[in-house]
Amino acid sequence: MTGYLLEIGQALLALLLAPGLVGFIRMVKSRLQGRRGAPPWQPYYDLRKLFGKEAVVSRNASWLFRFAPYLIFATTVAVTMLVPLVAAPLPFDAVGDLLMVVYLMLLGTFFLALAGLDPGTAFGGMGASREMTVAAIAEPTIALAIFGLAVGAGSTNLGQIVAQTLSHPGAVINPGHLLGFAALFIVTLAETGRLPVDNPATHLELTMIHEAMTLEYSGRYLALIEWAAGLKLLVFFSLLANLFLPWGVATALTPGGLAVAVIALVAKLAALGLAVALIETRVAKLRLFRVPELLGVSFVLALLSVTSSFLLR
Amino acid sequence: MKFLLLLLPPLISALVAYVVRPYRAVVGWLNALLSLLSLGAALAFAGHAARGAEAPVFGPGELLRADGLSALLMVCVAAASTLTLFLSPGVGTETDYAQTQLRRYQLLINLFIFSMLSAVSANNVAIMWVALEATTIFSALLIPLTRDKSSVEASWKYILIGSVGIALAFAGTVLGYFDFVALTGRAENALNWPVLLRNAPAMHPEVMKLAFVFLLVGYGTKAGIAPMHTWKPDAYGEAPPALAALMSSALFAVAMYAILRWKVVADAAIKDHYADNLLLTLGLLSLAIAAFSVAQSRNYKRMLAYSSVEHTGLICFGLGLGAAGVFAALLHLVNHTAAKSLMFVLAGDIERKYGSSAIKQARGLLTVAPWTGGLFAAGLLALVGLPPFGMFISEFALFRAGFAQHHLWVRGLMAAALLLLLVAFVSFITRLNRMLYGEAPAEVVAGETASWRVAPMLFGILALVALGLTLPAPLKNLLDQIVRIVSR
Amino acid sequence: MNSNDAIFAQLATLGSSLVLLFGIALLWRRSLVAYVRAFRWQSLALALVFALIGYFGHNRELYIVAVILVVLKVIIIPGYLSRLYERVGGKREAQPYVNVATSLIIAGLLVSLSYSITRPLAPVSKLPTRNGIPLAVGLILVGVFVIISRRKALSQIVGFLVLENGIALLAALGTYGIPLIVELGVFLDALMGFLVMQILVYQIKDTFESIDVEQLSRLRH
Repeated sequence: MTGYLLEIGQALLALLLAPGLVGFIRMVKSRLQGRRGAPPWQPYYDLRKLFGKEAVVSRNASWLFRFAPYLIFATTVAVTMLVPLVAAPLPFDAVGDLLMVVYLMLLGTFFLALAGLDPGTAFGGMGASREMTVAAIAEPTIALAIFGLAVGAGSTNLGQIVAQTLSHPGAVINPGHLLGFAALFIVTLAETGRLPVDNPATHLELTMIHEAMTLEYSGRYLALIEWAAGLKLLVFFSLLANLFLPWGVATALTPGGLAVAVIALVAKLAALGLAVALIETRVAKLRLFRVPELLGVSFVLALLSVTSSFLLR
Repeated sequence: MKFLLLLLPPLISALVAYVVRPYRAVVGWLNALLSLLSLGAALAFAGHAARGAEAPVFGPGELLRADGLSALLMVCVAAASTLTLFLSPGVGTETDYAQTQLRRYQLLINLFIFSMLSAVSANNVAIMWVALEATTIFSALLIPLTRDKSSVEASWKYILIGSVGIALAFAGTVLGYFDFVALTGRAENALNWPVLLRNAPAMHPEVMKLAFVFLLVGYGTKAGIAPMHTWKPDAYGEAPPALAALMSSALFAVAMYAILRWKVVADAAIKDHYADNLLLTLGLLSLAIAAFSVAQSRNYKRMLAYSSVEHTGLICFGLGLGAAGVFAALLHLVNHTAAKSLMFVLAGDIERKYGSSAIKQARGLLTVAPWTGGLFAAGLLALVGLPPFGMFISEFALFRAGFAQHHLWVRGLMAAALLLLLVAFVSFITRLNRMLYGEAPAEVVAGETASWRVAPMLFGILALVALGLTLPAPLKNLLDQIVRIVSR
Repeated sequence: MNSNDAIFAQLATLGSSLVLLFGIALLWRRSLVAYVRAFRWQSLALALVFALIGYFGHNRELYIVAVILVVLKVIIIPGYLSRLYERVGGKREAQPYVNVATSLIIAGLLVSLSYSITRPLAPVSKLPTRNGIPLAVGLILVGVFVIISRRKALSQIVGFLVLENGIALLAALGTYGIPLIVELGVFLDALMGFLVMQILVYQIKDTFESIDVEQLSRLRH
């Protein structure tokens, strides 16, 4: 019973923190750019505003257009219940492991791309094709990068991976570990639509990928998609943080342990958010045909990580 | 003491060439005479080894050692060097090269000879490697003596491919040392060949297999074993003739020497026929590629280069066929050194006369320059393996060793080799005919390049005939000693 | 294996991975400046690995080797290379024979191949550094691949230098370095080889007006 409560609590925590994370990154970026910027809780206000607005749907859109945001939101929330955010192992681990997480996220991406194509606008189609280019290389890399860790843990169960790293702290400077981290970091930037792959603040035709697909959405649909995007960012960050540097994750379901875990999670998210904001300020967006090269690098890093973990057992 | 007599003359020659500017003809003569000293020392070593005496050593940590195999190679290298130095540009005849080019030539070629001699007298396989790398460097600087597009291109390909090959050979050396270290810990003289050989039976076969592959590919690139032979036609075609002569005869021999040294160690460690099979396969590949390339060649210098690849293949065969095969291969190496060095010098003379190295252009050789043409024909017939020249005997011994093997597939390989030799034979003879007979182009001046040059080359041909008619006892003793060293 | 050895092994493997990654960076970047910079960082990482092995392996000679490495391959040779490409020109590698994404995947495959080739080596050695050996062999293979797939003579030179770094790494990891006298000879040879290549590149530029090796294709049959 406590397990299921924990799962729901974890999902709620993620839902709560996600817009804050997005706002935090935006704030850091604006401070770095010399602006005052909006406060970190601005996205909460945005969400509330969007939920209140009327959703305008194009006449050419089909049922998919209305269905997709719910699906995307649902899959992302499901993923938050499978990822070790504050505790490991989780009761849902038996149902969902690494591969399930990857598939769920890919399902969301797929439907988002379809929804971009659905209204028949030029921007939507363009965004969908670009997104698929990125996802084609990024998705296998996620699996490979974490698989490198899974080999060491002997299972693709995320909770078990965390437990393995906690019991062998020396493995952190393992090259397989570090290579996997580097690969997953690059993929995070790609999948969550951050520079240098995609600019989350732009609506210029030349540069947008994620924004292009969601251009037609408004009202509650847009709110759900934005929230799901924030959740995805949170999930990726917590994967990076808790799989590779799992200290702070509660292994026993005690209130003290959970409190520590929550604080640790917030700290790690802030650190990663800071890093991403710094990178976004420093780096220019890559031209689109160069993105596969960057993703190719991350793929090779992930491949090396798996090879070295596999053959150095 | 003998070691100093062997190694110092080329160094002194290089120093003289460096110091004397502008270049004077006396430098060339001096260098040629000094090389006779090296030749003398080499022959002394050979005689010493042929008698079966203990190998002399020299230097700290037994740096230099001259056992039978080293002595044979020393003689080959020194003899080829002497011949080439006497027939170099700027020695006695008028030449097309400028003073600065001649000075650079004398400096670099003597450094080249020094590094080759060091390679065969070094006891330490790593020093041998250093010397071989040095040969790559010096020859690469010497190939573009005249800075035109073709020679620069040839030199670039040569140094790139050669350096990669040498680097891989070093990786192989490191892997061999790796095994030794894993067994007995680090030791200062661990890379001395006798020490390696002594510890070889205890080494891990798998590691030595990997090491030998690297070594074969690496040193094989220097030797010109297919498929790493692609630099040969370019480099030999574009280098100054004397350098091409030395590279094709002496440098090739030194590279095969390096492979043989490591093969002995590898065989002792691996204990089955892994190395032999590798050599047989690559030998057949070289032979095949050479035979079909000769059939397409339109340039007589490149044709000679492909002939080199063909003989590389034959020698690889020999090395892979056990004791009798090694005997034949080494005899073949001696013959090949004599013949190839001659041929390239002659090719250089022909090119100077006709102004082109295309076979189409070099017609009517016998009418234009009968002695040169005759010597060229004799040399080519020798290379093709006809009696009464020495190559016939060594090839015969090779095939006899091959057909005496038990495995059927080896005999099949030898039969295939015979067929390929036939293909090459036909191509060579047709091209030779085209060159010897016919109308000479109008602008070619009749007459020899220089009459006295014929004498040393005639001597070389006579040596080949002598080797073809009989196997002199000292040489046979030396070869027997070497086979004893090599087939432990 | 005591904990000191364990830390040594981890650090050595980490250092070797860094060296390999800088080598793979050659396949990713396109500009000649980036190549030289990657080589510089790689040589620095390699020198650190040498120093590390010298420290843990109680071998003073390796410190000397590390210093020579830094002087030669971090300062002198990249300096020459930069001067060379300034004079000879061409800021970017022309489209290489194999495009970037494919090159990267091939690099990954080459490293996997090197792991399988060096399987027999692992049980042989008792040294803590043996886990890095596949990485060194992988770097050798990547170096050869860079030479084959690049179009400009300068890029081929950098590929060759990376190949040599790979072999040095192999020597360090597998045997704690070869005897000093030999190491010195090897360095000398490397320097001279590089100088000769440099001379030849100047000659290529003079005679061909470009360093695109596509032009070097006159010699046939």
